[in-house]
Amino acid sequence: MFSKHVKSELSAYCQGELSETRSRAVAEHVMRCTQCRAQLEEIKFGIKLAEQLPRVAAPEQMWSEIQSLMDREGIASSVTRRQSIFWRPQFVAIAACLLVAIVVGALWLLRDHSVEPTGPTWQVATLNGKPTIGSSAISKRGKLGVGQWLETDHNSSAEISVASIGQVQVDPNTRVRLVQTQPTEHRLELARGRMSARIWAPPRLFFVDTPSAVAADLGCAYTLEVDDTGASLLRVTLGWVALQLKDRESMVPAGAACQTRSGIGPGTPYFEDASAEFREALTELDFGQDTSSRATHLNVLLGQARRKDTLTLWHLLTRVNAEERLRIYEKMASLAPPPNGVTRDGVLKLDPAMLNKWKDELELDWTYSTFVPKQVAEAYWKVKNGVTRRMSKLEGK
Amino acid sequence: MEQRAVMAERLVDGQLIRACQHGDREAFRLLFETYKDRVFSIAVYSLGDRAVADDVTQQIFLKLFTAIGQFRGDSEFTTWLYRLVVNACLDERRRTRRLVSWGDSVAMNNPSEKKSQEKQYARREIAEAVQNAIGELKPKFRLPILLKYVEGLSYEEIATVMGCSKGTVASRLNRGHSELAKRLSHLKNEAAW
Repeated sequence: MFSKHVKSELSAYCQGELSETRSRAVAEHVMRCTQCRAQLEEIKFGIKLAEQLPRVAAPEQMWSEIQSLMDREGIASSVTRRQSIFWRPQFVAIAACLLVAIVVGALWLLRDHSVEPTGPTWQVATLNGKPTIGSSAISKRGKLGVGQWLETDHNSSAEISVASIGQVQVDPNTRVRLVQTQPTEHRLELARGRMSARIWAPPRLFFVDTPSAVAADLGCAYTLEVDDTGASLLRVTLGWVALQLKDRESMVPAGAACQTRSGIGPGTPYFEDASAEFREALTELDFGQDTSSRATHLNVLLGQARRKDTLTLWHLLTRVNAEERLRIYEKMASLAPPPNGVTRDGVLKLDPAMLNKWKDELELDWTYSTFVPKQVAEAYWKVKNGVTRRMSKLEGK
Repeated sequence: MEQRAVMAERLVDGQLIRACQHGDREAFRLLFETYKDRVFSIAVYSLGDRAVADDVTQQIFLKLFTAIGQFRGDSEFTTWLYRLVVNACLDERRRTRRLVSWGDSVAMNNPSEKKSQEKQYARREIAEAVQNAIGELKPKFRLPILLKYVEGLSYEEIATVMGCSKGTVASRLNRGHSELAKRLSHLKNEAAW
């Protein structure tokens, strides 16, 4: 099923040291191979660690010590007879030019610092009205620098080009900030409002911070909404998105949605075509304050669950008490029996290997759901790879 | 002094090298100011002892000034310099087989950041943990990492300095990154990132 693993090339891939063809092949492999994806995460973390190495200043007295050694060994003792290089006319001229350039540059930066951000930027195109970057309104096009906010009012909207890996549409009444853009990580913060992202890059390269969770792109298209309380709603239209807060993670496939709440993090993902009763019961189980009615909500949820709703049930397994877990397991087993090697005891004890094995089996039901027909799901990778190739060609021109 | 080094970096060209080859001590000084921190950083991280790194850095510059007449400009000056540095560090390690004590001996030159003291402290802790972990790597994995992250060299430049293929550099960096991530996996959820 897979081409040869690409683990040995991952550092070169992250640091742009591979040829265009090889880089594309690695990206395509990583999208499909869980092993290499896990290794990519490790390499990215290793790079992040290595980037923390500061340069160390040499001791101040080192030059005088070297001079003494030079004197002792007779190196460059002729300097006094020679005119120093710094007083030659050409060096004086270069130094004067540099000084003027530095002064002019400093004055220019002080005068107009807010208009042109320094460092890497993302292109922003106005779709409607007059969005603002920092305190300045942009007309047709603008640049969003690291740390800058892009804000739309009720009449305006904009589109951001996310480096060379995708696009984000920013709807009215939205506030987003560019947190970071590096070859190994691109990150936005969505403080409020709604954005839609279309990303064509290897998994976990594009992130969106919200007040109650982080959305990690796994190769997809989605919309993300944040309200004034910091709660958010994620709706995935293509591929997968992971919502995370500390150790809590929800994997959301196309056709599914997931809510988050401040102080709690991501709730449980559900398919949007599930019944209203199912969704209400899930909201109560995820975020409800009244613990006495949990059994009633679980009854409703299990009563309404279809085979593909094992997406919700599988996530719930690790988030409920032992008694509830047993009931969920039995419902799941009746809808989609566990594969060989996955036992009732193992699941009830939350054995990670068994839970993952069952999930791998169930993913076919979640991906090839009625919302995304099987043919579309199968064609997805093909289309995505085509887009990646076309983008690479365009960038190469 | 730092500003002088920045200006000097722009002035390092064939003319400066020729001035050094003619024994102009001011030119030497300029060359020293330009590269002293880079050379010292590699020596400190490579040898794990500030005092030893101090000695080795002085020896490297003495050797540079003595041998600069042999530099013909066939390769980049920096490649030639880093080759001297890498060889000197490897020779020193071979000579002493030193048991390095990291952490307490390496003082950092961290630029001041407008972050809370708590966050600065956490970042310093992380930087120290990284230095310690790098000190535990085998030299063949450590040196490419230092040339990449302290000096900002490309894979091709590292390969030239180390006298190996670009593929070997890629493979050693890959292994180095992976080792660092494994040794410091407990830092993954640090708030200071």
